[in-house]
Amino acid sequence: MQLYTVHVKGRQWLTDRIFEIRFDRPSGFDFRPGQKIAFVFEQNSRDYTLLGPAHGPELSICVRHVAGGHFSPRLAAAAPGDVFQVTAPSGFFTFKPSPRPAVFVATGTGVAPFVAFERAGVRDFHLLHGVRTAENLIYGPELAAAARAYVPCLSQPVAAGGSTVHFTGRVDAWLATRLPSGGYDFYLCGNGDMIRDVMRLIDERFHSSHVFTETFF
Amino acid sequence: MKIYTQTGDQGKTSLISGERVPKSHPRVQACGEVDELNAVVGALAAALPPGTEAVAAELRRIQSDLLDVGAWLSAAPGSDIQQQLTPLDPDLAGRIERRIDAMTPSLPELKAFILPGGHMSAAWSHVARTVCRRAERSAIALVIPETGGESQGEARNGLAPAIVFLNRLSDYFFVLARYLNHHTGIADVPWRK
Ligand SMILES: Cc1cc2nc3c(=O)[nH]c(=O)nc-3n(C[C@H](O)[C@H](O)[C@H](O)COP(=O)(O)OP(=O)(O)OC[C@H]3O[C@@H](n4cnc5c(N)ncnc54)[C@H](O)[C@@H]3O)c2cc1C
Repeated sequence: MQLYTVHVKGRQWLTDRIFEIRFDRPSGFDFRPGQKIAFVFEQNSRDYTLLGPAHGPELSICVRHVAGGHFSPRLAAAAPGDVFQVTAPSGFFTFKPSPRPAVFVATGTGVAPFVAFERAGVRDFHLLHGVRTAENLIYGPELAAAARAYVPCLSQPVAAGGSTVHFTGRVDAWLATRLPSGGYDFYLCGNGDMIRDVMRLIDERFHSSHVFTETFF
Repeated sequence: MKIYTQTGDQGKTSLISGERVPKSHPRVQACGEVDELNAVVGALAAALPPGTEAVAAELRRIQSDLLDVGAWLSAAPGSDIQQQLTPLDPDLAGRIERRIDAMTPSLPELKAFILPGGHMSAAWSHVARTVCRRAERSAIALVIPETGGESQGEARNGLAPAIVFLNRLSDYFFVLARYLNHHTGIADVPWRK
């Protein structure tokens, strides 16, 4: 398998645990929005979805610093100029235009491929972003501006006076109660429990739909 | 990542083109049979006698090709995802023919039907031959209207190399079984009525 060497160009914290990290883009490195790369370290590897834009001098990803994790803490601690080995982009979690309405469902950093879609010009989608608290709604304004409907779903109740317009509850609760039954193209990305629960709902309520999934963990 | 997703507990699965279908869907069945064939090829490779390294290398290549074939079978015809799959090499079957041609001259002429069996590896090769025929039948059912096949035109052309490959591959496993018996000094057992 071909490996590329990339150098850290910069890092920006989006929350106290989530950061965006940028690398120089090796020549000949092309990807389809929604694809991921694997960082290879000591006989091991971890996947990260490229944010896009699909063209330009840099590659960027957004990463949750998993406390005690094997690899994400290294990215969290990396300094400009540090070197990493990555694979060529791969994966089939890409946007497929269709006559059915697109419904994107993310938890946490699982919003990354939808940022890539949006930066590639995809519009008119529903996007549900499930997070614990409002500060984790990364890329919210950018996505809201492109979406037909942007629905932050906060699993923890917000203290009175909180300003975001949001749904209190998990993404599957919103889908079960607010999305009219029918056929959609669902794109599910994030943790496996959400994907399992939403899939169950799709099989019950939206069974003429198509479903594409990307499980982060 | 966990190996169990719990998304198929109600008997459905997703095609790579996104459709939710029952696990008994013909397209899922065809993929499953190609997967079964791949597992049998693995067993065959594990049973190879010494001195057959070139066969081992060919079997590994066949296993990779079968994964490509499985991906094509699991995409609904005309779906967008087909454009992202690597087109199947039109020479897949040609390569297998050349392997068959290379093994054949060393083998005694076939004068009667033979019983499947012999060396462990040859016996596995016969299993591979029959599983391959079943996979081929299931793949064909997807493309011909007589059996409710849904692939037509361009989409069907995408699968054409896969179908010819599976057809040639079972011939290959037949010849390979004989080759492995010959290589290990085990004579063919002819059919006696
Ligand atoms: C296709 C694919 C794309 C991915 N894209 C991204 C991405 O764009 N951004 C990203 O941050 N991660 C992404 N991941 C997850 C990433 O590959 C690593 O699993 C993650 O960074 C943890 O690695 P680690 O070695 O630090 O933790 P490990 O030591 O491997 O610990 C793993 C544990 O960390 C937790 N965990 C893993 N990922 C996350 C996460 N994203 N959010 C919260 N908890 C998590 C889980 O509890 C998991 O069991 C992706 C995974 C896959 C399979």
